[in-house]
Amino acid sequence: MQFLMWLEETGLAVWVRESASLLAYPTILLLHTIGLAIVVGISAGINLRLLGFAPGVPLSPLARLYPYMWTGFWINAVSGGALVVADASRALTNPVFFIKMVLIALAVNNLRLLKPHLLAGAPAGAPRTPNRVRMLAFTSLVLWVAAITAGRLIAYISV
Amino acid sequence: MNLAHVHIILNHVPALGSVVTLGLFIVALARGHEMLKRVSLGLFSFLALLTIPVYVTGKVAQATIVDNPLVSQVLIVPHEDAALQAFMMMMLTGAFAWFGLWQFRRIARFAAWNLGIVLLLGALTVVFMVQAGTMGGAIRHDEIRSGDEVTPAVGLLTAASVGAFVNDSTWIWPAAEVLHFVGLSLLFGVVALINLRMLGAMKEASFAAFHRLLPWGVLGSAVNTVTGMMFFIALPDQYTDNIAFFWKIGLMTLAGLDLLYVTAFDQPWAVGPGVDAPVSEKAIAASAIALWIGVIYFGRMLPFLGFAF
Repeated sequence: MQFLMWLEETGLAVWVRESASLLAYPTILLLHTIGLAIVVGISAGINLRLLGFAPGVPLSPLARLYPYMWTGFWINAVSGGALVVADASRALTNPVFFIKMVLIALAVNNLRLLKPHLLAGAPAGAPRTPNRVRMLAFTSLVLWVAAITAGRLIAYISV
Repeated sequence: MNLAHVHIILNHVPALGSVVTLGLFIVALARGHEMLKRVSLGLFSFLALLTIPVYVTGKVAQATIVDNPLVSQVLIVPHEDAALQAFMMMMLTGAFAWFGLWQFRRIARFAAWNLGIVLLLGALTVVFMVQAGTMGGAIRHDEIRSGDEVTPAVGLLTAASVGAFVNDSTWIWPAAEVLHFVGLSLLFGVVALINLRMLGAMKEASFAAFHRLLPWGVLGSAVNTVTGMMFFIALPDQYTDNIAFFWKIGLMTLAGLDLLYVTAFDQPWAVGPGVDAPVSEKAIAASAIALWIGVIYFGRMLPFLGFAF
């Protein structure tokens, strides 16, 4: 708890929390929203393709979207870190926050596991995606929705 | 020019436009005129898009005249309720019309079930629009009041009932917020994939292959329209007093036009596998991404840019 309170009093934390500038807390929140739109959005598009929608899209080009998703991920890791540090004693003692971290770790792991399948790339119109891959794509969608839900609920639920 | 003025001007577009479009559509169906069918479906979609700024500026117009002795105060809420019902019918009509336009690319014709539903919903929309529009005019124009406009709202959908539904619950607002984020992710993801292809990524694929994902993007925008209306109807003042909100709606309407463009027009559709899109298409694609980021910007910054929260 002492460590958490120390975190809250670091220069970064104080700036995020107390600066009246639009470039502080509001911009950090904005970046967090844009990052999530990038990661979850592109991931959803890839997952929908793997689940059989838009079958005309070849798989291996989709693998080239990963750098965009990693960019979104790191934007959120950094902006999320700033948000946590500014409110460390509440965020890091809130189970909902840790649930969100686990969900994101699982969702990102799914992305990693899916990439080789994309690179092996069935061309457009090839036979049905294997069930194992479809499960990964489906659970990926569920995990991201759950992560967004947990993220939104952090502000509403404190234990 | 203020937002109340925008409402007075803009409301004529869906109110009269729905009548004109229904007329065109009926002629198109009667004569089997494929291009006119396509134009009618496009117009229904376009009108649905414009109905959102019409509705939200209406709330500003209400605030502007609330103490004005020259208007009929008692007609305002019935007009709002009639407008909400017309809004809902227009959205449903636009959604099915959009779907018909999208489906046309897959099956190279219009499905009879789709045309039938659009005809029925379009006719209902005209009925509700005429009711809402006449009531709206009667607020200001005593020469057209017949004395019996204040009828109880048809059906259950009133602004008060939606507001109560949201405000009387502790969990509906946060749930709607979650759905709003999920909807924006779905929408932005489809927008990103489609426009990145146009800008030159994943060139092996044809634009037509990505076109198949559009209904998921429209689903995201539908979820966000419903949840957005829930927020707006439940707590209108924190939006109508905030200019950032109207920037958001304005950018969103423009971005929605782009969605309609990529669904129905020939130029994006012509971008085949391996083809580098022309500069004009790339410019449109880049502005579409910028517009949606702008929508996210103003949406996220609402509590910080305006002073109403």
